[in-house]
Amino acid sequence: MSTETEPRVEQEPLDVFDPRLTRFDIMREGARREGIEIVHYEAQYPPGSRAERRMTRIVASFFLLTGLAATAFLVIYTWGPWEYELGSNVSKLYTPLLGLTLGIALLGIGFGILTWGKKLLPREVAIQDRHDGPSTTEDRKITGETMVYIAEELGLKRRKALGFAALAGLAPVGLVAAAPLIGGLIKDPVEDRILFKTGWDPAGNGGKPVRVTREDGTPIRPEDVSVGGQMTVFPGIPGGATNEHADSPTLLIHLRPDDAKKTLDTLKPVNQGSMWENFVAYSKICTHAGCPASLYEQQTNRLLCPCHQSQFLITDNARPIFGPATRSLPMLPIEVDEEGFFVATSDYKVAVGPAFWERP
Amino acid sequence: MKRRKIDVRAIPAKSAGALDDRFQAATPLRSLLNKVFPDHWSFLLGEIALFSFIVLLLTGTFLTFFYEPSLQTVTYDGSYTPLRGTHMSAAYASSLDLSFDVRGGLIMRQMHHWAALTFMAAIVVHMFRIFFTGAFRKPRETNWIIGSLLFWIGFLAGFTGYSLPDDALSGTGLRIASAIMLSIPVIGSWVTTSIFDGEFPGHVIMGRFYIAHVLLIPGILLALIAVHVGLVFKQKHTQWPGPGRTEHNVVGERMFPRYAIKQGGFFMIVFGVIALMGGLFQINPIWLFGPYEAFTVSAASQPDWYVMFLDGSTRLFPAWEIRFDLFGWGDGYTIPPIFWPTVVLPGVLTMLPLAYPFIEARLTKDKKAHNLLQRPRDVPARTALGAMAIMFWLVLTLSGGNDVIADKFHISLNAMTWAGRIGLLILPPIAYYVTYRICLGLQQHDREVLAHGVETGIIKRLPDGRFIEVHQPLAPVDEHGHGELDYAGWVVPKKMNRLGALGPAIKGFFYPIEKPAEAPVSPGHPPVSPIEPARREEISK
Amino acid sequence: MTSDSPGWLGRLRRGRSGPRSRVRRRVGSVVRLTLALTLAGGVYIVFAPGLAGAKDTPQLSTAAEEGKALFNQSCITCHGPNAQGVEGRGPSLIGVGAASVEFQVGTGRMPMARQEAQAERKPPVFTDEQTRQLAQYIQELGGGPQVPSGDLRAPESDEEAIARGGNLFRINCSSCHAFGGGGGALSSGKYAPGLGEATDQQIYAAMLTGPQNMPVFGDNQLTPEQKKEIISYIQEALKQDRDPGGWGLGRFGPVTEGLAIFLVGIVALVFASLWIAGKS
Repeated sequence: MSTETEPRVEQEPLDVFDPRLTRFDIMREGARREGIEIVHYEAQYPPGSRAERRMTRIVASFFLLTGLAATAFLVIYTWGPWEYELGSNVSKLYTPLLGLTLGIALLGIGFGILTWGKKLLPREVAIQDRHDGPSTTEDRKITGETMVYIAEELGLKRRKALGFAALAGLAPVGLVAAAPLIGGLIKDPVEDRILFKTGWDPAGNGGKPVRVTREDGTPIRPEDVSVGGQMTVFPGIPGGATNEHADSPTLLIHLRPDDAKKTLDTLKPVNQGSMWENFVAYSKICTHAGCPASLYEQQTNRLLCPCHQSQFLITDNARPIFGPATRSLPMLPIEVDEEGFFVATSDYKVAVGPAFWERP
Repeated sequence: MKRRKIDVRAIPAKSAGALDDRFQAATPLRSLLNKVFPDHWSFLLGEIALFSFIVLLLTGTFLTFFYEPSLQTVTYDGSYTPLRGTHMSAAYASSLDLSFDVRGGLIMRQMHHWAALTFMAAIVVHMFRIFFTGAFRKPRETNWIIGSLLFWIGFLAGFTGYSLPDDALSGTGLRIASAIMLSIPVIGSWVTTSIFDGEFPGHVIMGRFYIAHVLLIPGILLALIAVHVGLVFKQKHTQWPGPGRTEHNVVGERMFPRYAIKQGGFFMIVFGVIALMGGLFQINPIWLFGPYEAFTVSAASQPDWYVMFLDGSTRLFPAWEIRFDLFGWGDGYTIPPIFWPTVVLPGVLTMLPLAYPFIEARLTKDKKAHNLLQRPRDVPARTALGAMAIMFWLVLTLSGGNDVIADKFHISLNAMTWAGRIGLLILPPIAYYVTYRICLGLQQHDREVLAHGVETGIIKRLPDGRFIEVHQPLAPVDEHGHGELDYAGWVVPKKMNRLGALGPAIKGFFYPIEKPAEAPVSPGHPPVSPIEPARREEISK
Repeated sequence: MTSDSPGWLGRLRRGRSGPRSRVRRRVGSVVRLTLALTLAGGVYIVFAPGLAGAKDTPQLSTAAEEGKALFNQSCITCHGPNAQGVEGRGPSLIGVGAASVEFQVGTGRMPMARQEAQAERKPPVFTDEQTRQLAQYIQELGGGPQVPSGDLRAPESDEEAIARGGNLFRINCSSCHAFGGGGGALSSGKYAPGLGEATDQQIYAAMLTGPQNMPVFGDNQLTPEQKKEIISYIQEALKQDRDPGGWGLGRFGPVTEGLAIFLVGIVALVFASLWIAGKS
């Protein structure tokens, strides 16, 4: 049906019970009462035309496609090879096939009803009045006066003491709501100086120097690390290689003799005596954001952090030479004990990991 | 006993009547059914976010049945053999289990993740649309603020969700997050230890993130989205300027049936695209990352794209640290370099957009309410500002992946960092300038067509031998052959067939639904008034 | 000794060479020249093999003799007679072992075309047989680490070997070579190469010898069994095993995922909305 609006200047409401009115007339009258004028309403294809039947077929085939894809989804879901199997290509098809069938099924519905809506429903242009803008001055006046009246009735102006008392009484109640939350969560970082201590602290090992171990807890001899090699090492205490001691992973590096000499010559006072022969041990935790700075370049003696590209020069106190890091990687003082294994003679001398307010 | 006869055909009417008796629904329902929405492709971008949020809720609920928010160490014995026997947290193990030992779990997880990326991407794209068209102006500042907040809350939802599997990549991200919290002056260490219940990573963080991710944040998101959509409903949608469109009307389709059907269909399409991506594109292969251990990391560790700009700013920020002594208190104090790009910068990036509608209104002294959108070219300063912001964001985001770019395109990593640092300073102003000029150029072209008409491609030879191209004027011309149309910020037809010269007009999507063919291209010519019949004629043809 | 001979070649190249140093340029041309000559048809360039005659090695096996001939053709300009290195051009190869030669020559990194931040993987110049001969020569010259013969994978009967290898991979390898073995950037233009083309032997040799900036993982640090576990993980879990969740997007992590959501997801949805809002 194509309907052009005949000018109807007078906006008198229609009698919707008038039996001569069509359903469309009533609908348009309803819209009109909402301030909406349907100015254009036109079926896109003549009812029963070939074009319309073609469109209907297209919509129908979208829905049938959905049915097909959904069935395929169910079949694959139920009987497909869903269990992971290393090296098997068939099991790797399970998820893609599910995605494909589910996607097609959903897109089928989507395109189906969109085509239905776009092509088979009449095109329309409707214009609605916004009725925007502020309320009338009259309404504003009424509401404003009402509110002021309420405030006056409460008499906060006259009864000042009441206001103060209410405020004084309610403020602590607000804090009561906040207190358990803050009190329950808060944890003092200062008292135990937890941010300054790591698993290498001999205090955690009964006062004895902590052994340097591999991930599986086995101690390390100097010959275990080749020249130009590096090893991630952990404090040899229970749980030393777990996230319990997330600040303790350390990189043990065996330098070439000339690099070692260079390193020794440039050692800062705080790092004096921390090297053992040609071995150095630096904290693996980046001083910038705490990522493991572990991309060790054995020829250039640089250590790169993969998170923000800070680069540290191993042969010069692991000083940051590029990127956003500002502090050198702390050096772990190491030596070899009488059994021939590496030990840390003490904890790190400066705090490990990213800086914070209280850190000197 | 006589059986009462039920008239089946009368049931709908009767029950509708019964409902109205109780809820008086007929009047508000009529209003709802008839509400008019303007139709333009760019008005559907926000819907992508809304619909992907629904997909997020659906898939996320599925995942909660299998996920275990615990950092308890377990030994994996699921079906992913390359990790069997490895020690890991229960959170990571359950994430593996829901990927490999729950039938169809992997596609659910991947759909959830893709939906999250879609959600954030749609928010950003939608925000661009709002910004560049001036849809944030009075009376819609509140909704702009809510939308900006939705981005940041979505950001938090994304980050907490990204952290939950406790794989090596997300654990690294969490560690950086802890470093960011640590960097806050005065309270940083207290905040960090309070959130992690001690030193990073502690034992409780997964439980806390989990409840935030599945309850608190979605709750806030849901509430804000409800208000956001509710306000659009209440204030009515903006519309493009054009024939018959004024500040006081809405030209479009009524909500039912067409508009609602389009929305429903679009939801299915969003859902379908996410399903396709969830099945065909692998996302976040946590089984390759391995469990999070404080000492493992992978080259090219990045956050998801919507966090990448902060990662980029962190990478680019120079090694500037403030150390000082507070009158001999303590051992001296530090403001770490990571504080500026990850706490201060996001703070600025939150506050500036929130304040932008008011700043612009103040600078342009524009206190009026606006329901008609502006074309980006018509407000070159704002458009250029937006382009500048996008360029700033783009440089940061690319820098967030600069190691991947360096590796794959054989560029020095250090050079990439410097390129980012320099680019961050000089590219945004260039983007501003270029965009400004482009806007003016586009305006100029529009004016030219209004004055001289559309290029027809017909070349005419004049008696004196000159060749000229015939221009078809858009409206009656004066004695100099110049059109009488004023520049009105409307779409100006640039091709013949849009004028109807070569047949039915209006193909393509970018233009409003009216045929500009018969409509004059200037407002007020003839004068536009809502009840004038002549105007309706124009729109309807 | 040959530094003045390739003057004409050096001149030819000067036109398009950048600010590279004179020495480097020359080195590059030398290598090019020798390669060109070798390939041109076995024109034998006579060097004085007995220059360092005092330190000449005693008895070489037949294979090593062959290797020595190859060495004198293609490697001697940089690594010097008897592989003792040339200052500023190439390091001494005494003690680097057969493993190192097999890695460097087998992956085409040696002979180098020119000095750069890092030698790149190229199609190898020498055949496997020639590589073995060269390796044998260097081995007999100065000893050093050797890749064991036989199967370099963990025994298939050991079901958890791959998982252990994965664990070791994540501790020792993934920081540079990335979680998926795709490689990653290092400082100033250097990079850790992707492991896609690496064979068992090459991975083993690389761990053993620490080529270029890669740290050395000696047998005391990673036992031969552990090395084999790592190789099994790389080859069987990372490379042969297909991604279970669809296309892996190159395993670049969130970078390509972010690209995909805009280039595929958002673009598709914007096109859909264009169609939906378009006037049919």
